Formats: sequence, C-alpha cells, structure tokens
Amino acid sequence: MKINSFAGAALASALALAAGGALALDGGQLYMTKTCFSCHGKDAKTPIMPNYPKLAGQNAAYAAQQMKDIKSGARANGMTAAMKGVMHLVNDEEIDAIAQWLSTQ
Amino acid sequence: MNSSKIKHSLIATALAALVAAPAYSWNEGGGEQEEALHLKPDLENGLDVYEVCSACHLPEGWGTPDGTFPALAGQHAAVMIKQLSDIRAQNRDNPTMYPFALPQSIGDAQALADVVAYIEQLPMNPEPGRGPWGPGTPEFAKGEKLYKDNCVKCHGETGMGNKDKFYPRINGQHYNYMVRQFEWIRDGRRRNANPDMVKQIAGFSDDDMKQVINYVTHVPIPADQVAPSKDWLNPDFK
Repeated sequence: MKINSFAGAALASALALAAGGALALDGGQLYMTKTCFSCHGKDAKTPIMPNYPKLAGQNAAYAAQQMKDIKSGARANGMTAAMKGVMHLVNDEEIDAIAQWLSTQ
Repeated sequence: MNSSKIKHSLIATALAALVAAPAYSWNEGGGEQEEALHLKPDLENGLDVYEVCSACHLPEGWGTPDGTFPALAGQHAAVMIKQLSDIRAQNRDNPTMYPFALPQSIGDAQALADVVAYIEQLPMNPEPGRGPWGPGTPEFAKGEKLYKDNCVKCHGETGMGNKDKFYPRINGQHYNYMVRQFEWIRDGRRRNANPDMVKQIAGFSDDDMKQVINYVTHVPIPADQVAPSKDWLNPDFK
C-alpha cells in the first residue's frame, strides 16, 4: 500500500513535469494557429454558433480531456463532428498548453 | 406474393431507402446558386466577407499544404458558388465548415457572389502541398497516364477544369486534400459528386488514386496566376 502511494506520488510528479514542459508552449498562440479561434472566437467566449461552447475560464483538466476524447473519437456526440476534422493539427502537449491558456482567460 | 403485397414491400423498401440514405445530387441548380451566378460582384464587400473564411483558408486563400484546408485562390467563382450553396443546402457534408457557410456568417446571394469573386482573383501559392513522386519516377508516369486516360476530358490537360460546367480547377490544390475528396467521391461520401466522375473512377485502386493526384500536383500553374513567392502575404489584410 505504501509502495503504491509512493508510485502514485512519483507518477504525479512525472505528470507535473510533463505539464511543466507543456507550459513552455504558448497556448494562446496555438489557440490562434491551430484554428481554435475560428469557431470559438478570438477571446474564446464568442463562438460562431450558439451551440458551440465558450471556453474562456474553463478548467484546464476538463478542457484537455474533452479535446483528447474528441480527437480519439471516444467523445463523438453533439457538435464534435465539426471539431474532429481539425484535431489532427494538435498533439497532447499542445492540447495541454491550449487548455492551460483557456483556463486563464 | 400477390401484387398488392409486392407493391407494399416495394413502398416499404423505397421509404426505408429515403430514411436511411441521404440524398445524392450533383447539380440541381436554381435557388441562390442561380441567383449568385448572375449578380455583379463587389470586390470590396467580398474582402469584408472573406475575413471569416480567412480564419481557416488564410488571408492568402492558400489553405494549408497539409491539406486540412483546401486552397481557394484562383478557383473558378462558379465552382465556389456551387460548393458553398451545396454546403448551405446540406448537399455536401462538411461539419467543420458548415457554420461558416451559413447566411448569418457570410450573407445572402450577393455576398456569395462578392466573396467568390474576391477569392478567384487572389494569386496562387507557388508551392502547394505536392505528392511524393516527382517527374521521372514510375509512380509519376503511371499517374500521368491515368490522368490522360481518365481526367483530361473534364479537368483539361493542365487541370484548369471548366467553369461553365462547374468542374473545378485542380492544379495548385494540395495533395492530401485532393486524395481525401477523391476517395470520398469514389466511395460515395461526397453526396454532390458528379455521377460521371463517380463512374469514371469506380475502378481506381488506392494506388491509382494517389498516383493520379500526385501527377496533378506537379502540373504547372499558369505563371500570371501565381504569387511572386511562397512567402507572399495578402496586402489587403495589412
């Protein structure tokens, strides 16, 4: 049990390191160059369609998970078909950086 | 089975087909397509309208060489009017683009005429996304032969298409984009595909498809329609 929680802590720090690495990417710039803004608005709160979400201020972990699930197809409901077509443009690190940036808007 | 039973089962089959299969239609014409084709375009308004498109197709109208977004610069206005009208009418599935094509994003038939006229006169990318096989390779030669045997009649020797018949120009288009569309046309996913083309390419293998499109991406674009460099930036967006 102790070993497990130690492993858990090690994993958590590894993840934190990975997240730290992702922070080196400019999420705000990626948000523009990867065409996120085209649908969600330059300020991430004026989406082009009323059934597209505002993203500014969203929790980073939640936003990143939705992006990854839409990319993998694990999430395929709602308006995700519109987003799936561009998700090959970002990798996991870039997704994390974008999500982090969104959470600070 | 008596005749009334046969009739009923035929009706049931027809209804099921209606529900299950989306409508396929190449070019019904009419509506705002017809209207936009005959309006006098206003290039200045076209530039204003194009701003929303430029978010993905870029200010230069060159799309992305990886083929995520197609090049639009230099495309025949009539072809773009047809495709936009088809996307609006849900006759061509493009969930990513759909909201941008709607009247509330672009505007009415006049705005359609304006924006496509603006896009048509933009100079083209001298270095679009090209296929992997250059001249002199066997794959290039195979693609060239396939092109001459199958495509020239409609798309022309140099891929200029035919604006009067809504056949797109395909020279200068990105390789990955064309492969994707070709595959969708061949396999029945592009619902507004020309049935003559569907028939023409029905027997194409995946290799045939890649080789013929590879050839198209190496066809030279008329020099007077190409931007001075691949780093050209659209001055209208300064």
